[in-house]
Amino acid sequence: MSWLLWRQHRRQGGFALGVLAAFGVLLWITGVDMAHTYRAALADCTASRTCGELQLFQGWGPLFNLVNFTALVPVLVGVFWGATVVGRELEAGTNRLVWTQSVTRSQWLRSKIALLLISSTAVGAAVAALVTWWSRTSNSLHQNRFDGLPFDIQGVAPIGYTLFAAALGLACGVLWRRTLPAIATTLGVFFVVRLVVESWVRPHYRTPVTSLGALGSGHVGTPGSWVLSTAIQVHGRTLAGGRITLPEACAGAATRQASADCLTKAGYAEVTKYQPAGRYWTFQLTELAIFLVLAAVLAVVAVVALKRQDA
Amino acid sequence: MNGAVRVEGLGKRYGRKWALQDATFDIPAGRVCGLVGANGAGKTTLLRMLAGLGRPTTGSALVDGETPADEVDFLRRVGYLAQEVPLYQRWDAEDHLRMGAALNPHWDDAVARTRLIALDIPLDQRVGTMSGGQRAQVALALALGKRPRILLLDEPVAALDPLARKDFLSTLSEAVADGDLTVLLSTHLVSDLERVCDHLVVLEAAHTVLAEEVDRVLEDHRLLTADRRDIRELERDHTVLRVEQTPRQTSVWVRLSGPLYDPAWRSEELGLEEIVLAYLERSRRRSGRPELQEVIA
Repeated sequence: MSWLLWRQHRRQGGFALGVLAAFGVLLWITGVDMAHTYRAALADCTASRTCGELQLFQGWGPLFNLVNFTALVPVLVGVFWGATVVGRELEAGTNRLVWTQSVTRSQWLRSKIALLLISSTAVGAAVAALVTWWSRTSNSLHQNRFDGLPFDIQGVAPIGYTLFAAALGLACGVLWRRTLPAIATTLGVFFVVRLVVESWVRPHYRTPVTSLGALGSGHVGTPGSWVLSTAIQVHGRTLAGGRITLPEACAGAATRQASADCLTKAGYAEVTKYQPAGRYWTFQLTELAIFLVLAAVLAVVAVVALKRQDA
Repeated sequence: MNGAVRVEGLGKRYGRKWALQDATFDIPAGRVCGLVGANGAGKTTLLRMLAGLGRPTTGSALVDGETPADEVDFLRRVGYLAQEVPLYQRWDAEDHLRMGAALNPHWDDAVARTRLIALDIPLDQRVGTMSGGQRAQVALALALGKRPRILLLDEPVAALDPLARKDFLSTLSEAVADGDLTVLLSTHLVSDLERVCDHLVVLEAAHTVLAEEVDRVLEDHRLLTADRRDIRELERDHTVLRVEQTPRQTSVWVRLSGPLYDPAWRSEELGLEEIVLAYLERSRRRSGRPELQEVIA
C-alpha cells in the first residue's frame, strides 16, 4: 500500500513542500526584520515618549495580505487533496482496479485516509506555526490577535480548519463520486460552516464581559481583548442607532474632550461587550475541538458511505 | 462437481429495477466460459458481484469455493478486468507492474513482464497515450500476473480492432493452457466465443436462460424446417427460440430437450453465432417490441 500511496501522491507532496519551504523562508526573513525594526522603534519612542503614535510597516501591505490569505490554506487542502484523494479514483473507475488486487477496500481506504489526515495536519500546523511566529510583532503592535482574521490564521484553530476541510472534501468525493461537484460542495459547505461558527457560535464560548465607561474612553477592556459590541446608553437605556443628538447644554463645548465630559455628566455612557484577552487560548482550543469533531464525523460518513456503495 | 464458479439464484436490484435476477449456473474448473446477453442483460452486474465489488440482493455465489467478499483470501484468487479498462493514465506499464508486485502476495513478475515484452508494448510509455489494444494488454498482464485461479473479464475486446482482438484472445488462450485457470468473459462478439470458449452462459432480460458446454450447445440447438405446419406440438417438448413462417414453409430455431419424433422436420446444425443471435432476438421480442414475423404468425 505504501508504494501505491507514494507513487500516486509524491507529486502533490513535493509541490506542497516546495510552496511551504518558499513561504517559510519569506516569513523567516521578514519576521526577523520586523522584530528588529519594532524593537528599534520602541527604544526610540520610549526615549522620546511618543509611543502612542507608532507608525510602522506602512508599505508592507502585500506581505500582510499574503499572510492573511493563509486563511484559505484549509480550503485549498480540502479541494486539492480531500476531494480528489478518493473522489478521483471513483470518477476514473481506478478503484475497481485497486480493489481487485489483493488489498481490501478497508485497508486501502484506511491508508488513504491516514495519509490525507497526516499530511493535512502537517500542512495546517506548519502554516499556522509560521504565521503565529511571524505575527508576534504585529500582535504586540496592534493587540489584535483575538480579532476575526488574525484569530483564524494563528494558534491551533487553523489546524482544525484544515482537518475539517480535508475530511469534508473526502466525504464529498465519496458521496458525489465525481471530482468537480465534490470540489464545489467542499467550497460551499466549508465557507458556510466557518461563517456560521465565527459569527454566531464563537462569541458564545464564554459569557462576554460587559463594562460601562465614560464616553470617548475608547477601549475599555484590557488590550488584546475581542470587542463584540459597543453601544451608548443614557441612564442605563441603550440608544438605538448609535448617533447622538447633542443635548443643548453640551452643544457649546469647545473641544471634543469637553463635549465628552459634558455628555458623561448628562448621564451618557459607553457600554462595551468583550471577551478578555486572557481567554484567547480557551477560545482557540474550543474552536479546534469543534472542527476536529466535525472532521471526525465527516471521515466516518465517508468510510460508511464507501463501504455501503457498490463499486 | 467441483465448479470453479457456482451461482445460485443470484440477483441484484438497483432501486426498483432488477439488474440481474435468479442467475443460476455452474462453470467447471479449467474452462473458458463466454457470457452473452443483450445490453442491460446484467453481464456487468454479474461479473462485478463475482469479483466482490458488489453485494448480491438475493442468492449466492461461490468463486473458487469462496463467497465473494472484501477479504484478502478471496481477492487474491480472482482477477478482474472491468469494461472500461481502468488504469492510471499518467503511469507507464512499468508502474502498473510494480503496483501489481506491491499489492499481490503471489505476484509473478515474469508472467506479466514477458507477455508485455513479447507483444512489443513499451514499458516506459504513459498508459494514457497507448492504443486501446495496448491498454487492454497491460490490464490483462496485470490481471494474469496476480496468478488468479478465476479470471473475470467484462467485454475486454469490445473496443479493439480485429488484430488487437486476436492478440488479446491468444494471450488469454496461452494463459489458460499454461495453468489451472478458469475464465469467464462477457462479450458481444460471438465469433470470439467460437475461437476461445468451451462453455456458454446466456443472460436474457436479467435471467440465465442457458448455461452449457459449447459442444452440448451446438448439439442441442437445431434449425428445423418443414412444409408449413403447426408448431404447438414442438413447443410442448422443446424450447422454441424463433419461428419464421412463409406461406409454404416453416423454419424453427429450437433447443431440443430430447429426441425429435416428428419425421417431417428436416434438422440442420446451427453455428454458435446463430444460436446466440436467436436468444438475443428472443429477449428483444420479449422486452415488448414485437417484430413483424411474430405479428404475422
